[in-house]
Amino acid sequence: MDVAAPPPDFVTMLHQQQGLLRRVCRLYCHDADDRQDLFQEMVLQLWRAYPRYVPQPGAKLSTWLYRIALNVAISNLRQRSRRPAANELDAEALAVAQAADTGPDAEDRAALYQAIARLSDVDKAFVLLYLEDRSYEEMADILGITQNNVRVKMHRIQEKLRQLFARC
Amino acid sequence: MELDDLRRQWQQPEAAPPPLTPDQLTALLSQRSNGLVDKMRRNARYEVLFTAVVAMAMPILLPFAHNFLQRAQAMSLLLLALLMLGYYYRKLALLHRMAEPAGHVRGSLQQLGAGLRGLLQFNYRLTLAMVPASLLLIYGVTVGGELLRPGGARLKLLLILGLALLATGLLLHWAAAKATRWYLQRLYGQHLDRLEGLLRELDEAGE
Repeated sequence: MDVAAPPPDFVTMLHQQQGLLRRVCRLYCHDADDRQDLFQEMVLQLWRAYPRYVPQPGAKLSTWLYRIALNVAISNLRQRSRRPAANELDAEALAVAQAADTGPDAEDRAALYQAIARLSDVDKAFVLLYLEDRSYEEMADILGITQNNVRVKMHRIQEKLRQLFARC
Repeated sequence: MELDDLRRQWQQPEAAPPPLTPDQLTALLSQRSNGLVDKMRRNARYEVLFTAVVAMAMPILLPFAHNFLQRAQAMSLLLLALLMLGYYYRKLALLHRMAEPAGHVRGSLQQLGAGLRGLLQFNYRLTLAMVPASLLLIYGVTVGGELLRPGGARLKLLLILGLALLATGLLLHWAAAKATRWYLQRLYGQHLDRLEGLLRELDEAGE
């Protein structure tokens, strides 16, 4: 399929926000090929949606980006399974943590990454937005539920993570 | 360790990924999407193309038909192709709505789930409708042939054939219903189950 060269504003936006997309891929995919596939799919969907993007007063560009990135990651019905096997998870979680830091808490972080990897795709979306320091208001806007429900769900996820972390 | 501890590390600035050049980006955007909805859209477009070729070929071939049977077959194919084009138009419109990614996650899950369920029902009904339609077509062509027969129509033969087709139709309908349900469930059912599971999970927070 031939496409016209993307306009400079799209290229600039993508360059500025590439880190955000890569972080979503990092949380959802444990395999480098899958991460690249997911990144490509996100960029494609952003490109398609970009002509219809109209900045609203008070609305953040990041909200639009997270929505598309998470919709692709969660519900795009991609054919390849991105859910790794349990032993693959252990190795990947350790690799992620070790690559990220070698500090005194490296093993704990690896265990926490491992626990996060065991969450459902929906729960991972909450964790991602929490790690990204999004407000409950923005999380609610991205996910399409009320702020109160975000609060309840976050509380449950943190409980779940504590239990998973204890088992790791 | 808690999620808050990880958040501090997560937010530490990391090495910025190398920027994509416009050429790299163009190459990336030229690749095909591997999402299911996009694949369904691509397949539907190929089917539209094939059906449109059939629909255009029939009026061209019609003057070359030697007898009633050939004319009836050509007309039936043309009618079927036109009906299928209408079906593909609706299918593509539905897939287009399903491909909108900029809404919130819950809405997107709802739209995908409803769209996929609609397509499943649509395909199921279409496949089941094909059985009586094909049998009626066969019977109609046979009746037409008999009415044009120089010696007059053989009513007993038409009655026996009608009853045989009715019995066949009932049997085929039953078999087609079972097979179609199994096939569609195998093809799309797992995606639909997954979507509905995710939506339930998202709604759980409100309970």
